[in-house]
Amino acid sequence: MKNKAEEFVIGLEIHLALNTKSKLFCGCSTNISGVEPNSLCCPTCLGLPGSKPRVNKRAIDFGIMVAKALNCEINPRMFFSRKSYFYPDMPKNFQISQYELPLAKGGYLKISEKKIGIRRIQIEEDPGRLIHVGGDITSAEYVLVDYNRSGIPLLEIVTEPDFTSTGEVKEFLSKLSMILQYLGAYDPKKEASMRIDANISMGGGRVEVKNITGFKAVESALSYEIIRQRNIMRRGGKVVRETRHFDPVSNTTRSLRAKEMEEDYGFILDTDLAEVAIDEKWIKDLENKIPELPDERVRRFVEEYKISERNAKVIVYTDKAFADFFEKCCEIYDKPTQVANWMVTDLLKSLNYNKISIDESEVEPEGFVEILKMIDEGKISGRIGKELVKRYVASGKNPREIVEEEDLTVLRGREELEEVVKKVLKENKNAVEDYRKGNKKAIEFLIGKALAKTGGRADPKLLREILLEFLK
Amino acid sequence: MKYKELSVKEFLDEVKEGNIDLEDFISEVIEEIKRINESFNYFVYISEEQAIAQAENIKKRIKKGENGGRLLGLPISVKDCICCEGIPSRAGSKILEGYIPPFDSTAVRKIKEEGGIIIGKTSQDEFGFGSFCTNVGIGFKIPKNPFDPERSTGGSSGGAAGITASLNYPHIALAESTGGSISCPASFCGCVGLTPTYGRVSRYGLIDFANSLDKIGPIGKRVYDCALLLSVIAGEDNMDQTTIKQGEEDYTKYLKEEKDEVKIGIPKEYFGEGVDERISKLILNVVGSVEGMEYEECSLPYTKYGVPTYYLIALSEASTNLAKFCGMRYGLHLPLKGDFNEYFSNVRSEGLGDEAKRRIILGTFARMKGYRDRYYIKAMKIRTMIINDFKKAFKKYDVLITPTMPILPPKFDELSKLELIQMYMLDLCTNPPNVAGIPHISIPCGKIEGLPIGMQIMADHMEERKVLVVARKFEKELNLSG
Ligand SMILES: [Zn+2]
Repeated sequence: MKNKAEEFVIGLEIHLALNTKSKLFCGCSTNISGVEPNSLCCPTCLGLPGSKPRVNKRAIDFGIMVAKALNCEINPRMFFSRKSYFYPDMPKNFQISQYELPLAKGGYLKISEKKIGIRRIQIEEDPGRLIHVGGDITSAEYVLVDYNRSGIPLLEIVTEPDFTSTGEVKEFLSKLSMILQYLGAYDPKKEASMRIDANISMGGGRVEVKNITGFKAVESALSYEIIRQRNIMRRGGKVVRETRHFDPVSNTTRSLRAKEMEEDYGFILDTDLAEVAIDEKWIKDLENKIPELPDERVRRFVEEYKISERNAKVIVYTDKAFADFFEKCCEIYDKPTQVANWMVTDLLKSLNYNKISIDESEVEPEGFVEILKMIDEGKISGRIGKELVKRYVASGKNPREIVEEEDLTVLRGREELEEVVKKVLKENKNAVEDYRKGNKKAIEFLIGKALAKTGGRADPKLLREILLEFLK
Repeated sequence: MKYKELSVKEFLDEVKEGNIDLEDFISEVIEEIKRINESFNYFVYISEEQAIAQAENIKKRIKKGENGGRLLGLPISVKDCICCEGIPSRAGSKILEGYIPPFDSTAVRKIKEEGGIIIGKTSQDEFGFGSFCTNVGIGFKIPKNPFDPERSTGGSSGGAAGITASLNYPHIALAESTGGSISCPASFCGCVGLTPTYGRVSRYGLIDFANSLDKIGPIGKRVYDCALLLSVIAGEDNMDQTTIKQGEEDYTKYLKEEKDEVKIGIPKEYFGEGVDERISKLILNVVGSVEGMEYEECSLPYTKYGVPTYYLIALSEASTNLAKFCGMRYGLHLPLKGDFNEYFSNVRSEGLGDEAKRRIILGTFARMKGYRDRYYIKAMKIRTMIINDFKKAFKKYDVLITPTMPILPPKFDELSKLELIQMYMLDLCTNPPNVAGIPHISIPCGKIEGLPIGMQIMADHMEERKVLVVARKFEKELNLSG
């Protein structure tokens, strides 16, 4: 039950790690996962006295491409600013970010029902990572700091408070993530590569939820927060303005500090970094490099491969590698509709069951197409085909090999099947009796039993024929 | 061979000729600076071991016939805020106790590559926060004027100017100016101090005071010494993105130039209220006494905003630069107590001096919401107007000449009686060119009451050549230093 006072709007601040080789202001590598703490640092990203930042142009390139893809207006003069606050994960106790002259502003991204406004896009450096030992942010015994992450380029995308459901948020984020992957600007597999702060306003209160990592956590955080705020209002309370911390283990949020005043970061220009002039030519050159984006790809799939729009969307929006997989299959097998159907049902189901993506699995287009071809050839039954997809995803073993080794080909020998049917009739006398008494449905039970005995290899049609004959 | 009294130029020639035993020479210089330091406090650290090792190295190189290097064997002192690999660099502050940089600043790297020998780190106001070198960090000693130990050396590069004046051996000091920290002590100690165009010399490795104002530059006995060191340290540097694109330049060659007519502007605002009349008169006399100098009075109406503009920008930037000193990653550490906020506060309370605290508070205030537009943003706008003021003047004049400091080198007890604002106002001649980032030099132009007086020569951006030509002309005519 939703009443007017309980309506809410959500705005997001999304931080994405840009997929550059080196950090934003120094030459250190951004490949930090699995690396010994504090080993990928230099005087600059450790903020040692005397060190200076120097901007990585590649990060700005990515920023411009994303801004263009999100229909933003790009500032011809971009400047970095210092955002000051004291925190142990910040080597300089200020973060190099943007304020007066961010990279871009005023864009939008279309999701199925509407346009979500983009307020601004800016580039900034990531702080280090805190490791809370013996507890969480409020209860830890002590805290360790790893500065490997310090200086990794982040793109901050601030939306307008245009979301009115968690579904919209989810759709927006997966679409955004997809666009960024297509641009090569973002690698979702990198550690903590998407972090989100969400503002939820209900009944005049405004709550900021921090520390949401990955867009699956967003749903839990928002759902929890909406219910929490609704409950307060139903009890006649008032939602207070505050900052809350999301705990991904318990899927709850917890108050960090009351936010009576806006925080004051005392922004000033960072004059160690010269102004960056972004001219038309720079933008044009990058625009020419923007590849086909997801929406265009869906359109092309429908036109070129004549598959349904629904299937095209599932394939494209699952992830980029999944859509690439589809196209590779179509190159070597000319039945796109078949490929699409099998991909969105069986393949996707198995991948999800195993919690892996297509490029993490050992499934190759050649092997996958083999399954479809074997069905076409009548070599295996559809049911065996489905089984093979599951086993291919789980083990990576070539489907044709499995079929050869385990002799899974369709049983066509009538004599062989007659033997099976005889056995089934002997073992299921009750069913046979039911059938004879007029319960014609009992035959389906018997077919099932016979099929099971052949490990699914029998042709069900032939089985029915033999059974009917025997039961006469 | 007697090393004393040799000029830098003579010394370098003798080294090339193989007439100088560098190890012997450096040991003698180190002994001398130790002796001077006992009573004058010009050094916060004397890098004896490193200097002797460097001298040995160069000696070997020379033996092998490698006698290249524009500073071969020359002792160079470095202001404490400029990082030298392996040598404590604290910017004169207790909060950086124990900090030994793992890298050389670009300027120091270039000096070493040319064979210069780093002899130690010179004293300064903590982080450059002062014009008299009296705001030294906790536990540091105040340097004394070589002409009168009761008086200030000027600041913030007080140690650099003091040792340059006192040391009777060839030597050049590497100093730094944010708002006048090269000109002021050069003037009070009777040396030549050159502040280059902002962006001429890389700031990589400089412990920041205010990033948009800081400039590394030389202090020497003669104009030649400054031109020589500038030739070595200037240049574009990919480690500092604010450096200006420029080719290699030998600034010493300009000193031979005979420019017949120099058009000089005398901005009246630098000779009026707040300036000791005797100093004004002396400067005007000197300018008038040299032939081939055409001068006339002019006006720079924005001069009066120089001091407030400078302090607002400098302190806003400084308050962010100093935030990183919190006893966590390097420098002063204290026993762990309380949460991180309490710990940071404790370290900063114990490690920073009063003036540093004052400037952090003022600077933080100037960039707070509600005040930011009125102070920080406004100062940034007025800075543009000050620059335009100068640009207009340089359309008409080659250089502008003013006093460097409006007063004689003050006695310590006089300074202690001054209000803060009176003290800041003493930067009235040095703040404007620093805010504008234009090159300027202070050269000694006479004495009053036996104390040296500095004359400031300024030119347009990137016109170091004009500054040097005119400075050399005065130096020669006045025969002030050979
Ligand atoms: Zn680094």
